[in-house]
Amino acid sequence: MPEHHYIQARILRGVILLLFGVIVAELFALQIVRHDYYQGQSLQNRQVQIRVNAPRGRFLDREGQVLADNVYLADITLPRSCLSEAGPDSTLSKLLRWFAMPADETLARLGEQKEAGRPRLTLVANADMPRIATVEERRRELPGARVEARARRRYKHGTGFAHIIGYVGEVRAEEVGDEDDHLAYHPGDTVGREGLEAAWEDELRGEAGLFLKEVNAVGRVVGSREVPLWPVVPGGDVTLTLSLALQDSLAVAMDGRAGAAVALSLPDGEVLAAVSNPTYDPNLFTRGISSQEWRDLLDDPRHPFLNRVVQATYPPGSPYKIVTSLAGLESGVVGKWSHFEPCFGSYRFGDRSFRCWRRSGHGDLGHGGGLVHSCDVFYYQLGLRLDLSQLSAMAQLLGLGQSTGSPFTAEVDGNIPDKAWYDEHYGPRRWTRGVLLNNAIGQGEILVTPLQMAVLTARVAINDRDLTPSFRLGAVGGPAHVARPLPLAVSNLEWLRSTMTRVVDMGTGTQARLEAIEVAGKTGTAENPHGEDHAWFVCFAPASAPMVAFVVILEHGGHGGAAAAPVAARWLGDFFEWHERLFPGGA
Amino acid sequence: MKQDWLPRASSGTILVWSFAALCLFSLATLWSVTEGIRGPYEMADSGMAKAIFWRQAVWIAVGWAALLVARRTSLQFFEESAPLLYLGAVALLLLVLAVGPEIAGAKRWFVMGPVRLQPSEPAKIALVLVMGRLFSHYASRDRQLLPVIASLLLAGLPLALVLREPDLGTSLVYVALWLGAVFWFGLSWVFLLSVGSPLLSAIFNFYSESVVHQAWPWGAYLLVLMAGLTVARFRLLESFLLVLANIATGVGMSYFWDGLKPYQQERILTFFDPARDQFGSGYQAIQSKVAIGSGGLFGTEYLQGTQKGLAFLPERHTDFIFSVVGEELGFVGAVLLIGIYLVIILKGLEIARKARKSFSSQVAIGVTIYFAFHVLVNIAITTGLLPVTGLPLPVMSYGGSNLVVSAFMLGLLVNIGSRTFES
Repeated sequence: MPEHHYIQARILRGVILLLFGVIVAELFALQIVRHDYYQGQSLQNRQVQIRVNAPRGRFLDREGQVLADNVYLADITLPRSCLSEAGPDSTLSKLLRWFAMPADETLARLGEQKEAGRPRLTLVANADMPRIATVEERRRELPGARVEARARRRYKHGTGFAHIIGYVGEVRAEEVGDEDDHLAYHPGDTVGREGLEAAWEDELRGEAGLFLKEVNAVGRVVGSREVPLWPVVPGGDVTLTLSLALQDSLAVAMDGRAGAAVALSLPDGEVLAAVSNPTYDPNLFTRGISSQEWRDLLDDPRHPFLNRVVQATYPPGSPYKIVTSLAGLESGVVGKWSHFEPCFGSYRFGDRSFRCWRRSGHGDLGHGGGLVHSCDVFYYQLGLRLDLSQLSAMAQLLGLGQSTGSPFTAEVDGNIPDKAWYDEHYGPRRWTRGVLLNNAIGQGEILVTPLQMAVLTARVAINDRDLTPSFRLGAVGGPAHVARPLPLAVSNLEWLRSTMTRVVDMGTGTQARLEAIEVAGKTGTAENPHGEDHAWFVCFAPASAPMVAFVVILEHGGHGGAAAAPVAARWLGDFFEWHERLFPGGA
Repeated sequence: MKQDWLPRASSGTILVWSFAALCLFSLATLWSVTEGIRGPYEMADSGMAKAIFWRQAVWIAVGWAALLVARRTSLQFFEESAPLLYLGAVALLLLVLAVGPEIAGAKRWFVMGPVRLQPSEPAKIALVLVMGRLFSHYASRDRQLLPVIASLLLAGLPLALVLREPDLGTSLVYVALWLGAVFWFGLSWVFLLSVGSPLLSAIFNFYSESVVHQAWPWGAYLLVLMAGLTVARFRLLESFLLVLANIATGVGMSYFWDGLKPYQQERILTFFDPARDQFGSGYQAIQSKVAIGSGGLFGTEYLQGTQKGLAFLPERHTDFIFSVVGEELGFVGAVLLIGIYLVIILKGLEIARKARKSFSSQVAIGVTIYFAFHVLVNIAITTGLLPVTGLPLPVMSYGGSNLVVSAFMLGLLVNIGSRTFES
């Protein structure tokens, strides 16, 4: 044998052993030295953190009937990268073909979603069974495509509660929080946009949970191993003080006419029904509203999105005479049976003539008759005897010109002008006592919301200066609530209540009369610069032991007694009929 | 002779037992690969069919037959028929390029029903045999250059054909077989310098141009070479020719690089910078390391590997089967498997050294180089030491062609060994 094979064999063996040594050393480094690191990598490979949104709290009416809840829909979603992976064999192209979807439009929509930072893009929202089946069965041909469950808000009585409950929408880019903070808003999350959905967002939303789940190489969740890192805290259900039945009844009584109406239970101040017309269907927003539909709603001259109960202000008109009378009685400028100059249809102040609503005049009525028949001339003379501050202070005491403390963030204050206000707007000394004439009959610059008028009515009905409206059952009031009387003479309030009873019994509000129950009310026909008068009616019942305060305004409805009072009668009728059922145990 | 540390049993017995152990190892691992898929996961990827395990079992039976044929057939027959076998292998390689179906962008297989045959595998045997005959013919003569050049042509032909398929991994095996045969044949330092330095030049040129994009490494290499030649007192003409050859191969490297398929370039570049391609071949390398590393000392237990089970490991039944062993059986299992291969390789080396005839010795070293190259490169790839290229782990990886060829090679080795010691 050639001797050099001996040397070559030694060299070769040395090289081979050396290389095997290198490999074993590398294995040692991987499996022993860096084992923990690769163990971690292995876990990271197959464990992903999955954020699970909490189910949003529901809205229930006072009897526990569901007003808003969540339905779970199946969406067909694609990864964000689907848009850049073009080509006829891409998952997106296949689905567009199979589902016969318009390519340009769909791509634009997906592009918007990607822009918005959505983690996955929704190709088909609320997919039907054939499409779901296609994606599930042909999954291997459709890498990346998934059928995902999504909660959608459902407003079961959409138009009826639109202004109270409001609606939800998708978070905007500026609301999205830190990606690592699972409690913050993430792209695609739902957030309350209007009404109580917005006002009580934190509570309704709950807390998103965090889970570790096992996935395979294509990112699909496998197995049932699931490690909770942070529990899902479901959003709290909210029980409203409103009653579905009474709300429906009020909507029927309003008969779609523009305006607002609100009813408060007494003595607790629970809002039993609150209607704002015209209304809209909040399901439009969760179902996905087209930009055309959205523009149409926004451009509607009747402003369907305006929550007239707390966001619209109107001149109060004649119901304001309640304020003027109380201010006069308390300051002593008028007695319960006082008489002024008789009414001949108008009153002359300076070089101006101020008309009474009744052209033919009321004659000599006295204080009580002045309220019962809503004689403007009587109240002009009463107003002139008052100081402006006495009037505005009384209005504010009864809750006008300020927030009622309702949860609506968009609630407006209205306006109760005082001396400072006139100084500011007309200039000091640039206005005269003539403003008192308009103020006395609730015209001029006075602006109030329907809910403020309901608070005023409720406060005088049960002599409680702290009464505030509540929308949530058990939130305010309850057994612990002790009424704090108004700083007014009880006899004056009693006079007011009995006079308001006469308004319905024999005055301008006779159309609000009920058969068995005595109603105390006040009509109003508010002049406004926009056209036909607004029709007001405020009332409480039963007059002797009030259980409910009710206010309605019909925009451009004409005469309060003719247009608004029948709404009250109709609704109060239902209220007393159902009272036993709605207030078990008796309030 | 200092071979006492190996068991004193006959080398044939040891090789056959080693082969049997590898067959069992392969079956056990393939059972696990086709088994450990959990419930809902099947919906996304039904994974490896159990049929893979059964097919491998059948191939192992065929492999044993091949081993027996190679063991029983006279070596003289192989020596005489080597040119014919070689021509047959080349013809098959031509045929597959001509009529082979294109699968995943490559023409590497003949497809006959459920069976795929890869002609580049038996070509390894043919190359070993034909180079053995060539070098044994020149074994006792002084002329070195002629057989080396002839062997270069013999190896270059199938290499070029396999590169056309394309199959970079297999072509590298031919290079290794040729280098091993030449090395075993024996060469002078002058020759090694003449052949080796242009090769180094090509590597440095590649490193300069494609990796660092700077000229200095190649330039520095050429300067060092010239300095070395001066110090070694080479003749001026020889030095000049050698430097010229270095420059030629260096420049030629650029052309060769440009001729590679983009995915081949990408794989090589990814090796130097794995972050280049986290989801392509870099992904495979990373996932393989994660699987092996997470195995630890004793592994996750047989059948329990999660990287394997959840399909993070690509090619886990073929080229990356070692990663499954590393994950499920840990360092202990991996070293045990490497140990079996090492026994075969060291036995092969011993048989090559002790072989009585030059042809036997050359064939034995060819088989040894075959196993050493496959095992070292495959494991180096799975542990991330080398760039990813398709190269099976002999006997272990699923695939009939390679298994039968490996068995046949072992049969040859046993055959040669038995004549050395027992006849």
